[in-house]
Order: sequence, then structure tokens, then C-alpha cells
Amino acid sequence: MNSMLKLLVRDIRGSLLMSPLFLASMLVSPLIYIFVLGFALGGAIPSVVSGGISMSYVLFLAPGIIVSQFLTGGVLAGASIWFDKRFGMFEQILVGPFTKTQYIASKILSVALQGLAMAFLVLLFTSPLLSGLSVNALGILYIAAAWMLGSLLFGSFSIVVSTAVKTDEVLNVVFNIIMPPLLFLSSTFYPLENVPAFIRALALANPLTYAADMFRFGILGLQTSYLGYEVLLLVVESVGMFLLAAWSFKRIKI
Amino acid sequence: MISDYTILVDGLVRVYGEKAAVDGVSFGVRKGEIFGFLGPNGAGKTTTIKVLTTLIPPTRGKAIVLGHDVTEEPLKIRRRIGVVQQQPSLEMFMTVEQNLDSSGFLWDIPKEERSKKIQFLSELFGLKDCLKTKGPELSIGQRRRVQIARELMHDMDILFLDEPTLGLDPQVRRTLLDYVKKRASEGLTVFFTTHIMEEAEYLCDRVAIIDHGKILADDTVDRLRSRFGTGEIIEFTLAEKGAELRRILTPIEGINAFYEPQEEDEFFRISTDDPSTVLPRLLQALFANGQHVTTINIKESTLEEAFLRLTSKKEEEA
Repeated sequence: MNSMLKLLVRDIRGSLLMSPLFLASMLVSPLIYIFVLGFALGGAIPSVVSGGISMSYVLFLAPGIIVSQFLTGGVLAGASIWFDKRFGMFEQILVGPFTKTQYIASKILSVALQGLAMAFLVLLFTSPLLSGLSVNALGILYIAAAWMLGSLLFGSFSIVVSTAVKTDEVLNVVFNIIMPPLLFLSSTFYPLENVPAFIRALALANPLTYAADMFRFGILGLQTSYLGYEVLLLVVESVGMFLLAAWSFKRIKI
Repeated sequence: MISDYTILVDGLVRVYGEKAAVDGVSFGVRKGEIFGFLGPNGAGKTTTIKVLTTLIPPTRGKAIVLGHDVTEEPLKIRRRIGVVQQQPSLEMFMTVEQNLDSSGFLWDIPKEERSKKIQFLSELFGLKDCLKTKGPELSIGQRRRVQIARELMHDMDILFLDEPTLGLDPQVRRTLLDYVKKRASEGLTVFFTTHIMEEAEYLCDRVAIIDHGKILADDTVDRLRSRFGTGEIIEFTLAEKGAELRRILTPIEGINAFYEPQEEDEFFRISTDDPSTVLPRLLQALFANGQHVTTINIKESTLEEAFLRLTSKKEEEA
């Protein structure tokens, strides 16, 4: 088997063995968002109009939450690199028959697969809400692009963080400070058409918005007027972040 | 012949910031040899291993391992070595069995062979009873044993052991050393660092003594003993520390060298060729200066003395 794939298998095995309870708990928040927040706010907001399409709030929300799982996948990858460093396996792997490039590529792929698995599980639970939707080939392309680019971006980002920090506390603080604004200052929970200008400006600078909008276009056909720019920005940012991750990984002190 | 050497190091320098952790080191290790790399903490042992295992590049100089340059073909080297690092390493979320299996998997060992090796190594290192135990529940000694066993899951041409016996109980320590000896007799080259002299004497064909990044001696254990460890050793402890012993002992005739206690060790040591006359003079001098001797032994010269002599000489010069 290819060396990178072996590292990938090791990584996923490690994540699955981490703690079944922990993994199950990762599903709790997205499901609460969709089924509690989605339906509760849905009572107050009879319909959401975005991109010229009118829909129930929960139908708007669900794709956003599914996409946010790619972010969760990224955090998991960051945590796994951190654990490798902390428990000595990082250096041990690097004296084995592997290259740093294979290691980092295995982590990014692991992010993508874990994010996809999380997104798929959320999708499975929410499938009754989304039934009746038909997705065409272009839609599948957008969904796949949102997944791949989102995973590359968030995975690379968490690699940058986990290689830079030195203690558990700092890692927790960084993720706790960065995650809520990333999640809440994006188009995950609300359409950006009618929000105050400063929130809109911040959300439009947030790559999670681009991934969410691409995913929504793919699954609902909901198209923002700036979707083309979002695709372009997400490509540029994810490649840029990957290069930054590769650079910071190269400089890691052994 | 150059091809006899599995490791060849020439003028190796590794600088961290301003400080040279390894400062112009040269040596060679032959196939099937157990090469001991001895030195106090911070002497440059681990840095040398990190360069040889391609974790860090040398600042200057050359290191050839198994015929490949460490900077040019690191992967070709890593495919043929095993490394037990000084720092602990463990797949914390896995059981002992999963740790061993995962390592075998990463090294492309077929499933059936992995199971056999797990059986063998867990038996050898006393891990049979904790095969199903996960990382956090293992003791420090058990974790160390897993780390060693894991590295022995795959075959290799050189085994690097960086202070591998840290945290091991005496039985397991002996098991490991004997196993390493056996593997070396079958052709495995072993690069072994330690600061425990008995281990080096027991295990190594040849040792190099390193301190402050420089090699002070490189020879067989026997020859080092006879070159630097002449005579016998009087070792003693005192009720109170802090006396200026060097001043008290200088006038005594027949003392070749005097060594202060090393880390976690209370013994003062004197090397002499004539303990029967030096011992009464020593006791007299200590008594006259109000020093109360609590224990005293006379020992034959050991590698330890050679080590102490070389490393403390260096310290005095520094």
C-alpha cells in the first residue's frame, strides 16, 4: 500500500479509537442546531428569501450546518497532529519510511474524509427535511468543490495552528476564540441579504460563507449574485492556506 | 574498506542558535557492531542520533548511513533503520496490541507475520497481560516497553537506541540488552547511547565518549579501560557535603585523579595505583579536616572511571 495511504489509515484508526463517546458528541451540536434552532426559529420566521428563492428556515439552515462539518473535520485533524506531537509519534513517524509531504497530505485527506463522514451523518439525520430536492450534475460539482476546498482550507488552517502552539491550553484557546466567529459570522445561520452592513462585510470575508453558499447552490439551487467570486476566493484561499501549512510544517522544530 | 562501515561520520557539526551541540565529530561503525555513544546529559548524543536518523540536517560535515548521505537520500536510510528515541512515544488512544499492530502495518508487515511478532515481542518484554490496555492506563515502564517492542516489529539494518533503558526495571533492561546482543550477532548494527557505564560495558564492542559536542575517545571497552582507567578506585561518601575536598586531597601522594559526585550520586572518587598506602593517608587527611566518612569502597578500575576522567578533564579545561 502507498505510504501516504498507510498514514491515512493510521490517522483515521486513531480518530475512531479516540473515544466513541467523543465522536458521538461531535454530532450533538449540529443536530441541535438543525432540529432545535431550525424548527424553533422556523416558527418565528415563516419563510426565508435568499437568492430569489423562498424556503423554510430549517431548509436554509441544514445545508449550512452540513458544510460546517468540514470545519469540524479540520479541527479534528489539527487535534490529531497536536496529539502526534505531544505523544512523541510525530518524530517517530518522521524517522520511519515516510516523508513530511506524505504525512501532511495524509492529514489533509483525513480531514476531508472525516469532514465528509460527519457531513454525511448530519445529512442522513436531516434527509427527511431535504427529501424531494433534485440535484443535477452541476450541483454535485459544486457540492464536491465545497467539500474539497473547505476541507483543504480548514485542514490547512488547523495544521498551521497545531504546529505553531506549544501547550494544550493555547490550542484550546485558539480554537475556542476562532470557531464561534467563523461559524456565526458566516451565511451558515442566516442569509446575508438583510443583515447589518458590518456583519455582512465580515461574513463575506469568511471562507465558511463561500463553502456554505456553494453547497446551497449545489443542493437547493440558491444562487448568490457573487457566487463566481466566492468560488474563486475559496480556491485562492485554500491553496494559499495549504502553502502556509506546508511552510509552517517545514519549519517545525524537532 | 569503506563498504565495511554502515555509519561513517566526518567532521559533523550541528549548531542550535549560537551553540554547537555537536562540534566536529568523526567516527565509523561497522556492520554487526554494537557501538556505544557515551556522554553526560547534553553532551550531543541525541543530536548526533537525530542527524543520523535524518530528523535534522547537519550544519556542516558529512554523515553517510548505509551508503546514503543523510541530507541527499534520507528516505533510503529511514527505510532500513529502527529508532527508539529517548523521548517517549505512544499511540495514546490505542491498546498495546493496536500500537504494535499499527507499527507493523506502517512498515508493510503482512497481517499474519504481525500477529506472530506481537506474540513474540509481548512475551519477550512482559507485555502479554496488558495487550488490551490503552495508553493512558499503562505505567511509564510499560509505555517504554511498548515503544521498544513497537520498533522491533520491523526488520532493519541499523537499530538506533537513544537511552532505551530509561524507566525500565532491571529484568527488562537485561532482556533488552541480551536481545540486542543476539540480534547483533546475526548481523544487526546497533548504535546505542547511554550514560550508564555498566550497560555499555555489558553490551558494546566499541564506545565513543562524547562531551560538549566533541568525541574525547573512541575505542574498544577494554582498551579504554586500560588507557584511561588505570589503577583502582576508592569511592567514599561524606556525612556533610560542601567541603573543599580538592584542596584537602591535593597534598596526598599517590592520587591520580579526583572526581566530584555525578548526578544523583553521592560518591566522591579517587583513582590510584596504590590504594593500600593512599587509603590511610586519605582517611587521615579527611579526619584532620573534620570530615566524617560514612561509607568507603575500593573497586577495580572500570569504564566508568575512564568516562569520569575524560569528561571531568574536559570540564576543568572548559
